[in-house]
Amino acid sequence: MTAALELNALTKSFGKTEIIRGVDLSIPKGERHAIIGPNGAGKSTLFNLITGRFPQTGGSIALHGADLAGKAPFEINRMGLSRSFQITNIFPKMTVFENVRCSLLWSMGYRYNFWSMVSRSPALTTGADAILEQINLTARRDLPAGVLSYAEQRALEIGITIAGGADVIMLDEPTAGMSHSETDYIVELIRTVTVGKTLIMVEHDMGVVFGLADRISVLVYGEIIATGTPEAVRADPRVQEAYLGAALEDH
Amino acid sequence: MSDQTATAPATRSALLPLAPWVLSALLLLVLPFIFTANSAITIMNQMAITIIFALAYNMLLGQGGMLSFGHAVYAGVGGFACVHIMNMDDFFATIPLPVLPIFGGLMGMGLAMIVGSFSTRKAGTVFAMISLGVGELIAACSVIIVVFFGGEEGISGDRTYGLPTFGVEFLQQIEVYYLIALWLMISAILMYLYSRTPLGRMANAVRDNPERAEFLGYSARWVRFYSFVASGFFAGIAGALFAINYEILTEENLNTTQSGIILLVTFLGGVGFFFGPIIGAIVFTLVQTVLSLQTELWGFYLGLIFVATVMFFPGGLAGLIMMHVPALRLGKLGRLGVPYLKTLGAGAVMALGGAALIEMIFHVRHASSGDHEMVLFWIAFDSHSILPWVIASLAAAVGYFIVRRTAPDLMEAWNDANTPDGGAS
Repeated sequence: MTAALELNALTKSFGKTEIIRGVDLSIPKGERHAIIGPNGAGKSTLFNLITGRFPQTGGSIALHGADLAGKAPFEINRMGLSRSFQITNIFPKMTVFENVRCSLLWSMGYRYNFWSMVSRSPALTTGADAILEQINLTARRDLPAGVLSYAEQRALEIGITIAGGADVIMLDEPTAGMSHSETDYIVELIRTVTVGKTLIMVEHDMGVVFGLADRISVLVYGEIIATGTPEAVRADPRVQEAYLGAALEDH
Repeated sequence: MSDQTATAPATRSALLPLAPWVLSALLLLVLPFIFTANSAITIMNQMAITIIFALAYNMLLGQGGMLSFGHAVYAGVGGFACVHIMNMDDFFATIPLPVLPIFGGLMGMGLAMIVGSFSTRKAGTVFAMISLGVGELIAACSVIIVVFFGGEEGISGDRTYGLPTFGVEFLQQIEVYYLIALWLMISAILMYLYSRTPLGRMANAVRDNPERAEFLGYSARWVRFYSFVASGFFAGIAGALFAINYEILTEENLNTTQSGIILLVTFLGGVGFFFGPIIGAIVFTLVQTVLSLQTELWGFYLGLIFVATVMFFPGGLAGLIMMHVPALRLGKLGRLGVPYLKTLGAGAVMALGGAALIEMIFHVRHASSGDHEMVLFWIAFDSHSILPWVIASLAAAVGYFIVRRTAPDLMEAWNDANTPDGGAS
């Protein structure tokens, strides 16, 4: 079976600075995979390479076996990969409902359609309402998304990310800046909405990582120094030395 | 036809959304019976054409977040094409005049496809600069490609040579009025419906956050391109109606001044609401036609209105109107009546006093020497005597004073009217 996502000797340089220095990673279908590492390790850059925001310098990225080199973000999305952002990235002037409905349009086959009314499609409306129900924002349905609380906006972004039916979901620090109760809430949300899907997430909160991930990769200075189950990674002396020990002592 | 953010509850009657359209259509039907003068018909024709153009422009600016400085080109080229068709005697004799705007629209659309193919790659400043450059380029072509644009004197045609439509040959202004009104309704409805389609919705999404839209499977560039092409089509319709109404097109229909005017009209009316540009076009046309008969300085006043709108009401006139919806919902709009009357009444006195001062300065400086008599607000007086200056200054000063004194009360009334009764906040 081909892996959901396969990285081979992936490199990325900005000028002379090498940020990603040869990453090999294979994530099978249905796995919840977390990428951790100290600040500046290149986690977000790795995300941006996979989702086509930056072109890679060398190596290859394959989604379900298909090479992603040179693909634009919208093309990668159509191949079944969806992502959220480190900084909340929604459509602030549109209503919550409208945000979710827009994220359903392409996957429901509307493409660049300019002859049918979106409000006339029961499938779109019920689909968007079902997502709102899932992310518990039904009560906020008709508010402009920009007025939601931070945690609600993050929940909405997760809703937008999963709405299109992509089977590979990438979340960039979904709990960043959240209180403990908000974090618990979002973790539960992520757990329910990614059932049966491949999840790849960057996360700083070790509690979230160890609670949610099936496997963990540790990225340090653009290289993966360890990949394995949470227990194995926790026990790895190199990881403890490079990163985890210090972080665990802090917590 | 409300703002895209105010989604009406689905349970409301299905007929209610139709009401504004039916009312508009009825209004367009009866207007010529209320304003029967020829000059009124002329103004209404111009108004309707400007409305279509402004709505088309707002497909870019308000719906798609693209600021164009050269949109007159698409209307102009559509108009030029229609005049050329009018001059193709054999061909024109086979098509009824009401069909002609479709050709203008297709011409505007064709040009928009060519320009849009490279200008819509990026939004923001890049798009604005390309639109400015292309606008200048095509306006400059008017004296270079004389065979199409007719050089400095432009080209003219005769609309009456078309195939008569049910015996109507469009000799009369009133017949042209109904033709334009028909196209106004068709265009406005189509543009409104467009904003409700998947592509129209994604235009909003790309405007708000192009990067997120890309991660939803949509190419921001293609969404912009389709909006641009659709806008070019309706701009072309407006240009064609201009050609039918005036039977002449010149370089003025293409140049940056014209592009600037449509930007001003749209922004004045308000880009956030579908009906904003309609209000903008009505106000602008009235100022341009009615006020320009009264004073040479109409452009100055228009500039003042525009700057004041942009500074104090960024949502435009439509935003100003919609600001009152919460108070209306609370049933407390009436409480604003008296405070408004006080402040706005004083404001009107201040404005009239200020305008009188400006007019008198203008008269003293620019009237031929020895001409001391001027007429203002239907009163004849000597602009060099002291009394009118005193009265005007006093009116402006007293008006200003009362506005300053009553403004806090108005703010209080405003806050009161927007607060639910018994609520803490």
